[in-house]
Amino acid sequence: MKILVVDDSAIMRRIICNSLKSVGFNDIVEAGNGAEAIENLSGVNLVLTDWNMPVMDGLTLVKEIRKRAELATLPIIMVTTEGAKTEVIEALKNGVNNYMVKPFTPEVLVEKVKATLGK
Amino acid sequence: MDVRYINPFVKSVSNATLTMLGIEALPLQPLVKNETRASGDISGIIGIASAAIYGSVALSMPSETALALYNKMMGDSQTEINGDVRDMIGELANIVAGSSKKEMAEQNLSFDISIPTVVVGKNHVISHMGGIPVVVIPFKFGEHRFEMEISIKVRNEEKAPVGMAHAHAG
Repeated sequence: MKILVVDDSAIMRRIICNSLKSVGFNDIVEAGNGAEAIENLSGVNLVLTDWNMPVMDGLTLVKEIRKRAELATLPIIMVTTEGAKTEVIEALKNGVNNYMVKPFTPEVLVEKVKATLGK
Repeated sequence: MDVRYINPFVKSVSNATLTMLGIEALPLQPLVKNETRASGDISGIIGIASAAIYGSVALSMPSETALALYNKMMGDSQTEINGDVRDMIGELANIVAGSSKKEMAEQNLSFDISIPTVVVGKNHVISHMGGIPVVVIPFKFGEHRFEMEISIKVRNEEKAPVGMAHAHAG
């Protein structure tokens, strides 16, 4: 199980990675923005992405992923401060499978990941 | 400044610290700030803008508080302000501003936020947009304190402002 964690904050990436590793998800790739993420999609089974990032934001990344037929069913979780109803709806309409609002606890993150993967 | 515009940010600080650190930062008596010098050694600043509202929000704190927050959050024992600590301050400012958006949107005051700017150094200056009062809300976090500065204005029929808040070494 290879997971791609995308966030322009290195600290946030570290928090997410530590949470994932605490439950056995050890194959993790990191990216600091959507453009870097695009270059690291090979073999990825789950994407966790922030929304507001420089260069390429998370929503644009989601749209780019969903344009690719081979990635049509790649699970994507948006992890973001954007919690308004309109943003959540927009993300889901564009192909996000699950949504988590910052701030979050590691326990909630892990449960969201498990729920998204059907575990 | 209307308290309706301040409360969402205050709630965001309390919620963010409780959720991510397990300790809720408690707001103290607000005051109006009459100078540009930051109270702390490190500050994270976020600009906010939309057709309805504009301004900036900053979190400013002594180095000791920033290190206490960082070490609590990351389970670390950092003793100096480094890139990771700066990143944490920026992300905290991002979360505080971002988390307030939902409640502000319920008041028809939706806005976008900027990428955070972090400034480190004693006596640095935070220059919020001219002409907008700056309200300071001190917070108590265990034995530590930090401050949030809020400087926001609801548009009426004003033209869009040029530039955003900025900070520089004092």
